[in-house]
Amino acid sequence: MFRYLAQQTTPEVRLQINDIWVSVPAGCSVWSAMASQGELTTRLSSVSEQARSAYCAMGVCFECLVEIDGIPNRQACLVEVAEGMTVKSQTITQESAMPYLTPSETMITAEQVVQFFEQDGEHDLRG
Amino acid sequence: MTCVDNNSFDIAVIGAGPAGMSAAITAAKKGARVIVLDDKVRAGGQIYRNVAASPLVDKAKLGPDYVKGEQLVKRFNACGCETRFGASVWHIGDNGEILFSYQGATQSLTAREIIVCCGAMERPFPVPGWHMPGVMTAGSAQVMLKNDGLVKEDAVFVGSGPLLYLIVAQYIRFGVKVKALVDTTPRAAYLEALPLLPAALSQFGVLKKGLLLLNEIRQAGVPVFSSATQVQVRGEKRAQGVSFVAKGKTHKLESEHVFLHQGVIPNLNITRAIGLQHHYSEQQLNWQPMLDQWGASSVSNIAVAGDCSAIIGADAAEEMGQVVALDRLNRLGLITAQQRDEEAQKPLAKVKSYNQLRRFIDRLYLPIEQHRVPQNAETMVCRCEEQTQGQLRAGYEQGACTPDELKGLTRCGMGPCQGRQCGHTVTELLAQWQEKSVSDVGYYRLRSPLRLLSLPELSQFQRISPAAKSEEVTK
Repeated sequence: MFRYLAQQTTPEVRLQINDIWVSVPAGCSVWSAMASQGELTTRLSSVSEQARSAYCAMGVCFECLVEIDGIPNRQACLVEVAEGMTVKSQTITQESAMPYLTPSETMITAEQVVQFFEQDGEHDLRG
Repeated sequence: MTCVDNNSFDIAVIGAGPAGMSAAITAAKKGARVIVLDDKVRAGGQIYRNVAASPLVDKAKLGPDYVKGEQLVKRFNACGCETRFGASVWHIGDNGEILFSYQGATQSLTAREIIVCCGAMERPFPVPGWHMPGVMTAGSAQVMLKNDGLVKEDAVFVGSGPLLYLIVAQYIRFGVKVKALVDTTPRAAYLEALPLLPAALSQFGVLKKGLLLLNEIRQAGVPVFSSATQVQVRGEKRAQGVSFVAKGKTHKLESEHVFLHQGVIPNLNITRAIGLQHHYSEQQLNWQPMLDQWGASSVSNIAVAGDCSAIIGADAAEEMGQVVALDRLNRLGLITAQQRDEEAQKPLAKVKSYNQLRRFIDRLYLPIEQHRVPQNAETMVCRCEEQTQGQLRAGYEQGACTPDELKGLTRCGMGPCQGRQCGHTVTELLAQWQEKSVSDVGYYRLRSPLRLLSLPELSQFQRISPAAKSEEVTK
């Protein structure tokens, strides 16, 4: 379990994390608020839709993308909590964003590329 | 098209860590119109994160190397430069234009000189299971502690390097239970680093502090496993523990949380996207922008200082911030070349001494190959697009020989982190498969925008000029 150490001053901020109201120390990051409540899942991975969680907590890994006040793709580790904020674990995946593209099709062979361009008869990539 | 005019700043500094703060102080003192942009909430960078506004009752437990940063932050806050915090730079043009996201909109400015001080990030640790929830970096443990006073009980720390031992010691001082320290520094590294020790002795105080840390950890009763290899994170959907080999024996430790660390590397995305020339450092096994002794890059109006130039550490970064700013001031005509040379003498001498220590540290804590270049086909390499070593190997066998070709074929490096977490691994894998040097393989071609942008951010532009005068620009 994550826990907060004794704090200098203790003004608390109330926010909603995945529909549950919680109180956390003012000034902490959204990721830290989530972790302190045991909510480690920030997003689903884009291909296999598995739970993912913050990795670097300093803005470089982009694993902690969450939805804050209705805006998706926010880095939970870089945003400070604010009174009344609504935070949701993000569920945008390739499937949900592009239902016509299944994960297996994201890996295409060079042969498929050639076939694609040759379909209309105008390109000859083999020449 | 924007051009440099009276509405331009003299110097824009990107990043308010030790290098950026020190550059800004130096430049502001000579009367330059300076603006500093940083994506965090306040100045300090990762090393001095929240040092002037710590939530902790007893921040002294974080150690003197952290607390001393408060002086620098205070001098910076009083130096008279303009600042934008929570500002995330996403484009730097070749005409001195900088675009950044700020409070949900885009702001733009131009500057005659740009100093990039965007610091370091932790080297990826691509071992089986590193992508699962419950696995974070040791740096993240430190950021959570400094920024929020948030700690994790009973975690296992795995890897090598000064930062790893520091955070374990800090946890101990705050009474946080550490399950184990699994040290991956090979025994042979101590011998190989030994010839570099005499030169490093000029920084004896720093060396001594390092030794005392390890002593502190052992005396606190934390189990320490040395020369560990074959690290794997165990678990199906989230971390349940780690396994590794030490002294010829396989160990399995249960823990729901693992912190990994094998050194830091320059944060490349800005310098790469600008198109600066880079080279691969065999001493540090990382990509670095090519710079002269004044931090001047291959693009005349752009300089680089601090850990994003090469890993030099906070103390050297602070000195180099001054040196780089002095050269920019000379270019602006605010000081003469003679003034620059005189004032840079002391900081350059200090940097030289720090560098001798750095060579010793680099050799001792050089991350081992099996934890940098994954051999297991299941190991995740690109976390964003979920490309494993095996999938990348298949892409290579289909004919992708460069990082960009592999990116085009497999989408590795194409996700939101823009290759930050897979770039070094991909170049090393391709080098190994082709028996080429990493330099010959190269790196991803990066482009703006440097971060995810929302449509409102892209549609609202506001231009920033010195003296806080701003005008709406219709777009």
